[in-house]
Amino acid sequence: MAKVPRNFRLLEELEKGEKGLGADGCSYGLVDSDDVMMSNWNATILGPPHSVHENRIYSLKFHCGDSYPDQPPTVSFISRINLPCVNQYGNVDISKLQRVAQWNRDFTMEKILVALREFMAHPSNKKLPQPAEGTTY
Amino acid sequence: MAALPKRIIKETERLVADPVPGINATPHEDNLRYFDVTIHGPASSPYEEGIFRLELFLPEDYPMSPPKIRFLTKIYHPNIDKLGRICLDVLKTNWSPALQIRTILLSIQALLGAPNPEDPLANDVAQRWKEDEKAAIETAREWTRTHATV
Repeated sequence: MAKVPRNFRLLEELEKGEKGLGADGCSYGLVDSDDVMMSNWNATILGPPHSVHENRIYSLKFHCGDSYPDQPPTVSFISRINLPCVNQYGNVDISKLQRVAQWNRDFTMEKILVALREFMAHPSNKKLPQPAEGTTY
Repeated sequence: MAALPKRIIKETERLVADPVPGINATPHEDNLRYFDVTIHGPASSPYEEGIFRLELFLPEDYPMSPPKIRFLTKIYHPNIDKLGRICLDVLKTNWSPALQIRTILLSIQALLGAPNPEDPLANDVAQRWKEDEKAAIETAREWTRTHATV
């Protein structure tokens, strides 16, 4: 298979995000619409239903380095959250997210968001006490 | 990696052996479908004397699908957006497998010489182009001096 270079991959992700074709409850886009290198992204996750997160909107940010997608992006929450894969600064340890732990260059930012949303809804996490809504790191 | 189709090998060989004046396309050593491209701005256009960097990628189903291409150098042009994406019919609906990397790059060079504000991608630029063409051309010249000259 042809190996899609970083920038063309990010353009595909941008177009999918802009058209709102993303997965349920997740959205993402560039922080600066004229960032030619497309390194910094904002994202949101709508809290999954039947969990403490229901009706909350969580803001996150991604940074895609030069070696993305061979290497995963860095991900962090802007909104405060109590979740086992998120440290005290809001940084996400994606090796704790089963679906994306074994990183593969076909994975996308959307896949990480979906994995996070699932993790939030997981029976062991869905009742964890949460910081006040609207607080940030 | 799978073997590179003959068509791509032939096109690449010809681009190197018989380059188009003012256009250079060099494949990456680690990905022969991914090219660094430079295009010289055409004479008597606002892009004259500018050297514009682009990147080009031949997707898996090339030449059934067109190459993907965008500007890396910032450029003020009604058919090119802030991320360097290009609005050009031959890259979209009018693509034909009979076209080649060479012909596409020539079309892009021609687009620099003939901006088309009636079919815009960068709406703010197209608007200004229609309202005050002289001022828009001056801005295009300035951007060329700032971003596209070494």
